[in-house]
Amino acid sequence: MQSLKSNYFQLFNLPQSWDIDQDALSDEYRKQQGEVHPDRFAGAIDTEKLRALQLSSYLNEAYETLKSPLRRAAYLLSLHDIDVEQVDQSDLSMDLLLEQIQLREKLDELPKDESALVDLDKLRAEVTVKLERQEKSFAECFAAANYDGAKKVYHELQFLNKLRTEIDAGEELRLGY
Amino acid sequence: MALLQIQEPGGKQAKPLHRLAVGIDLGTTNSLVSASCGPGVKTLPDSAGQHLLPSVVHYRKGETALVGFEAKSLLVEDPLNTIASAKRLLGKSLAELKSQQGYLPFEFDGSRDDGAPAILTASGSKDAVQISADILSTLVARAEASLKGSLEGAVITVPAYFNDAQRQQTKDAAQLAGLNVLRLLNEPTAAAVAYGLDSEDQGNIIVFDLGGGTFDVSLLSLKRGVFEVLATGGDTSLGGDDVDHAIADWIASQMSESGGIEIPSKARLLQLANGAKHQLSDSKVITISSDAWSVELTESVLKEIIADLIRRTITSCRRVLRDAGLAVGDIDNIVMVGGSTRMPLVREAVAEFFGKAPLTDIDPDKVVAIGAGIQADVLIGNKSADSFLLLDVNPLSLGIETMGELVEKIIPRNTTIPVAKAQEFTTFKDGQTVMTLHVVQGERELVSDCRSLARFELREIPAMVAGAAKIRVTFQVDADGLLSVSAEELSTGKKAEIQVKPSYGLESGIIEGMLQDSHSNAQIDMETRSIKEAQLDATQLLDAIASALRIDGDLLSEDEANVLAKSIQKLESIMIDGSSVQIHGATEELNQVSSDFAAKRMDLHIANALRGESIEEVEKQVD
Repeated sequence: MQSLKSNYFQLFNLPQSWDIDQDALSDEYRKQQGEVHPDRFAGAIDTEKLRALQLSSYLNEAYETLKSPLRRAAYLLSLHDIDVEQVDQSDLSMDLLLEQIQLREKLDELPKDESALVDLDKLRAEVTVKLERQEKSFAECFAAANYDGAKKVYHELQFLNKLRTEIDAGEELRLGY
Repeated sequence: MALLQIQEPGGKQAKPLHRLAVGIDLGTTNSLVSASCGPGVKTLPDSAGQHLLPSVVHYRKGETALVGFEAKSLLVEDPLNTIASAKRLLGKSLAELKSQQGYLPFEFDGSRDDGAPAILTASGSKDAVQISADILSTLVARAEASLKGSLEGAVITVPAYFNDAQRQQTKDAAQLAGLNVLRLLNEPTAAAVAYGLDSEDQGNIIVFDLGGGTFDVSLLSLKRGVFEVLATGGDTSLGGDDVDHAIADWIASQMSESGGIEIPSKARLLQLANGAKHQLSDSKVITISSDAWSVELTESVLKEIIADLIRRTITSCRRVLRDAGLAVGDIDNIVMVGGSTRMPLVREAVAEFFGKAPLTDIDPDKVVAIGAGIQADVLIGNKSADSFLLLDVNPLSLGIETMGELVEKIIPRNTTIPVAKAQEFTTFKDGQTVMTLHVVQGERELVSDCRSLARFELREIPAMVAGAAKIRVTFQVDADGLLSVSAEELSTGKKAEIQVKPSYGLESGIIEGMLQDSHSNAQIDMETRSIKEAQLDATQLLDAIASALRIDGDLLSEDEANVLAKSIQKLESIMIDGSSVQIHGATEELNQVSSDFAAKRMDLHIANALRGESIEEVEKQVD
């Protein structure tokens, strides 16, 4: 059984950048998973089974990292020794915080029943537009090797993603899922 | 000139032998076994030509167990020794079972110290694993007689919602029956496999599985021979039985409206309802009659009667789409599984929601077993390796208890398995040398609302100040969905590991009851969580002040010490039952009161430092 490359981009034969071909990623993932998945070793000896389990788990982790825009961004930065867990006060501008507070207030003020669904959709659309803008800006910073700038954008992406998750959760609550 | 054919070294010498492997659908009501025979995979009948094996076992003194139709016929005659629906006992504790299903007629074995439900029968105490093993053995015997050879392996299906304990016990039952388990496969995945191989489809598939008592829905993507489960959901307390109950209630209400009629027993009502349900699968209007009384039931009235049940299935579908980030239009095929999907109203509702007709070609009772048989054939090596692959997800989040009885999720639900994830934790108290790791499963934020899977300890952590030790906890879920957890202290390499086995004695409730709870209770959780966090802050401050007082308590005057003690007392009492705001207030107050003390300590330590020896002097002493 082969061993796998430690860099997730190299693992899937992709260029190390923000913009990746999602279809190529998922095709390559399926191809490799087809080679290392434990099901391929159902009748093998235990050491091979264990190796298959490890390789397959690693492949899943790599795939999920690159598939998610936010996790891909953090991973790209980590390849340039930037730890996104380390948040400096200077990374977060006052404008950003104010904007976040405003958006959150909007979400909190919506009625707690189904009448809020239309406004939730609007709010989600607003956040999605901001997300897409910031993703573009992350790509530009990163391509220009401006990693500190990219890290600042990353934190904005983090805020926006969290907010979108909360909007989704708010919608589920109101729909009674 | 004819060339001599030379085989490549190590290449295939001859057509490999066909190895015998089966797929088994171990169901709550009925079980089936399937295998590849001739061109395709088929379910195997018994000598009487019956494909379904009722999942009922009858125990007799000094004789082997009876399984299937014979056992089923003894259910009324000898209820204490005849066990149906043993699948519902898997992975549960006796206490849990009794609180959920009060109607069980059995006498339970109180001597089991593991708390597992075991039934006292004429041939001894039998638990869910043994009963399931008896069903499996019957299916194995049937298959070996039919295939004329001994089995080398089996794929056994489990509901997508089965938790770790239930999966583990299913595997234990197979081992007890002498079966080599190639894989535990989620039932909806098996159903999609049954359809997926007949057509060379690409795309997203919904598996809609409405059985007698449970509802499962899964979203899978199929591309180049790889099935990827994108999301699963459902409702373990929704099924065809609920339809019968709804119709029975309607009949009873019609009878009391007619007046002057004695309403028959619940059992009789359910019998009438079940008959009506089946008749309405073929006609638009039927007549229900009991003695001299009769009433007409039309399909449109039935639609109203079961509207709520159908709405609940569609809500689950919506949720699964949401989890996978897909829209209705992204779904290419809908596979129907389970006897209840024979109801035209169910099919219509599904077709209406997804905007296309569901697939119903394969018998909805057999489709899971057929899929399992196909997968067994692949895993045993009868099909070429690149034929197809199944990527499953874990149905419930797995996490660990952190301070304040909060859950830190390590592997979120719907993560593709196998998966390994690690997270670092640290100690909470100065000098802490033992860490208890409590592994839980569920979506809620509080430990008490999730299912406890296992507890173990990491010992001999070197004593350090709180927060200095680094303990890496790794969760590994294998392709069958079974979890193992290990913990390692990074500076010493000290390790502890556990294979998570079923743990009994937990009043955990039903799995996706837990899932639904997590949403309806999100609001309550938030306040509870902020109280827990406030308590945690308070505890940390109290601990810090207590340890400061032990070292430098003599810095305080008697008055100062009294004021501080009062403030400590106040916080200690408020943190027990106060709101998060009250606890924060008292914590802040204690912080203020103790700030002078902190300043004094700081001054003292600075003074000590200034008085202390210089670095050069220290070095000289070392030399």
